[in-house]
Amino acid sequence: MRKIAAVILALALIASAGAQDKVIKIGTLFPMTGPVATAGQRCQAAVETIVDIINGVYPDLDLPIAKKAGLLDGYRIELVKADHQGKPDVAKSEAERLYGQEGVFAVIGSYNSSASKPASAVAERLQKIFMCGASSSAALTERDLKYFFRLAPTDRIEAIEFVHWFDELNKSKKAGIKTVGVIYENTEFGKHAADEAKAHAQKSGYKVVADVPFTVGATNLNSEIQKLKAANPDALFGAVLGADYSLMVRTMKQFKWKPKIAINFCSGYQDQKINEQLGKDGWGFMGSAGYTPEFGARFMKGVAPVEAYFMKKVGVPFDSNSIQEAVAIYVLALAIEKAGTLDTEKVAEVLRTATFDSPLSMGGKVKFESPGGQNIMARSVISQLQDGAYKTVFPYEYKDAAPIYPIPKW
Amino acid sequence: MDIRKFLSKYGWPLLLAALAALPLVGLVGPGFSSHVLITILLTAAMAQAWNLIGGYGGQVSFGHSVFFGIGAYGAAFAVCVGKTTPWPGVIVGALLAAVTAVIVSYPCFKLKGHYFAIATFAVVEIFNRVFMIWDWVGGAVGLDYTILEDGWRNFTWSVDKRGYYLGALALFALVFTVTRVIERSRFGYYLRAVREGQETAESLGVNSTGVKLTAMALSAFLAALCGAFFAQYNFRVDPPMVMSLDMSMKFVLVAILGGIGTFWGPLLGALVLIPLQEYSRAYLAKLGSGVDLIIFGLIIILMMVYQPGGILGILTGTKARKARLRARLAAEGGAK
Repeated sequence: MRKIAAVILALALIASAGAQDKVIKIGTLFPMTGPVATAGQRCQAAVETIVDIINGVYPDLDLPIAKKAGLLDGYRIELVKADHQGKPDVAKSEAERLYGQEGVFAVIGSYNSSASKPASAVAERLQKIFMCGASSSAALTERDLKYFFRLAPTDRIEAIEFVHWFDELNKSKKAGIKTVGVIYENTEFGKHAADEAKAHAQKSGYKVVADVPFTVGATNLNSEIQKLKAANPDALFGAVLGADYSLMVRTMKQFKWKPKIAINFCSGYQDQKINEQLGKDGWGFMGSAGYTPEFGARFMKGVAPVEAYFMKKVGVPFDSNSIQEAVAIYVLALAIEKAGTLDTEKVAEVLRTATFDSPLSMGGKVKFESPGGQNIMARSVISQLQDGAYKTVFPYEYKDAAPIYPIPKW
Repeated sequence: MDIRKFLSKYGWPLLLAALAALPLVGLVGPGFSSHVLITILLTAAMAQAWNLIGGYGGQVSFGHSVFFGIGAYGAAFAVCVGKTTPWPGVIVGALLAAVTAVIVSYPCFKLKGHYFAIATFAVVEIFNRVFMIWDWVGGAVGLDYTILEDGWRNFTWSVDKRGYYLGALALFALVFTVTRVIERSRFGYYLRAVREGQETAESLGVNSTGVKLTAMALSAFLAALCGAFFAQYNFRVDPPMVMSLDMSMKFVLVAILGGIGTFWGPLLGALVLIPLQEYSRAYLAKLGSGVDLIIFGLIIILMMVYQPGGILGILTGTKARKARLRARLAAEGGAK
């Protein structure tokens, strides 16, 4: 067995021996296998897209890193891929391996909040940089870490925006939203999002009438939807992702129930596959979006050409999560350039203090809070699925369609 | 002295001494190989703890992740909620696991064979759900360690893995020594007698329920200690991490792969499975997603099909086959 391990090790070393001298190794740590593998693979592809742009020369792109090959005086970025399989313990040991064994300068990851937490704790102990793109649990940036930087808006930012949207609808449309319910996957992400939703709704005077957790990958949500139907909240917050989301909507149809407004956290409903699966049944539902291709085309001029490269890799446009991982590596590259060195301490200091122009971010800027590492410029919009397209409905300055309220009955 | 006799008498203490010497010669440090070594020792200890009831006692339990989880929560609760060292949590967790094992197993032991195994499956699901919604122990979010001072007091080390290695070695030594003592004691013979035929054992005056419950409690206690180590090592615990069928399978798989109901089986299983799992994930992940898991799965299938006796079965199989052949030839020769 030892021999086999040694052979594997030797092969791996040979495989990586071809690298050039001037190389910055960056680790990527995503769920490449397991229940959210598709999302992980897209995040990985997003990082690879930006790295290709950094390493090559792309005069047609309006990004400072695209004009010359590599960073500093010709350093190429080499990615070292790792897979945490959606498991926190694997994320921790892989982060240790990336920093310790592979000697990476920084790690980009890790999609699941529950994996980002232990992996970034490893980075903090080693005083190495950890760039977190998409993980949304607010707890991540409440640890006062110094080497952790997170791009995505948190569940809290989204919850505040959702409640603000209800207030707005009540005022302008006499929407009559008084009671709210929450349905969420029972994970770190879901629990956190639901807690934030309940807290902020209550603070603004809404009554929480239903609190319904479910197990991820459920094959049946009948009792959960029946509970919601019985409580019949005016508005429904969801922290439901992927296949669970499709199941939730289908089960609602089965029980012939819909709230007046349904709004989902963390872009969980924003997936072309879900859109196709649900067809008309999915129309009218809302959710937060850190990015939509329609929004990008209208307000983020720099995105389209980068997105074209990304689409060559995976065949779909950026979504709210993958684009945040692209921004993570992009901002890190800017920070290295600005620091003018590969000294971790100096690059981290730039990340803590500078404001970065980011054409890939909604709002166009990135600035991290220190300590903690939250991107305080992170924005998200509320979109609604209308006639098969994700239309931005709030805030009004970004809207490209009027909201359909309430959702038409089944 | 005959080499075989020498090994059977001194092999175990010599192995422990050799393992304890590894850090002294600089073979254990911050690197990935140290992580693999630690994981091998921990997994071997877990599988051996399971082997007590699953192998020697013949009660195939898929519920050991529950006891492992209670141990993990014990330590993490003491650190994260109690704001103290993990040690009181380790002891309380292990005792609670033993008590839980007795309470849960008593009704389950009325079932036999597959029915017992299925019941233990359900136990894992129940505990997983309860811990998921139990906010006092962190619920679905779990418990996260803050950065603590390195050392034995907190049983955490940030970079250097020597402390963890020695901790894992101590755990490994404890579990294996307990097994060795039981294996050679009257209780061990009772346990095996119950496995081979409960009614027969009872007819000879063995209190089968008592024997099984004692073995289960001991097994759960040791599994919980492994769980506490796991939490301390990963600085985090949440229900899917520890109380899942996935984790239960690890207990069972390693023991079966190595050789169920044998002293060396769990170590052999861990020695094969863990490096395979860790190195294939680390170095084959770049080939594409899941290549490591494909290879991993294939080896397990081949093993189960061709040598259900486990690795120990392969090692001793050739010898046993030769002996059988010789016996048959002798018998045929005698008949002529």
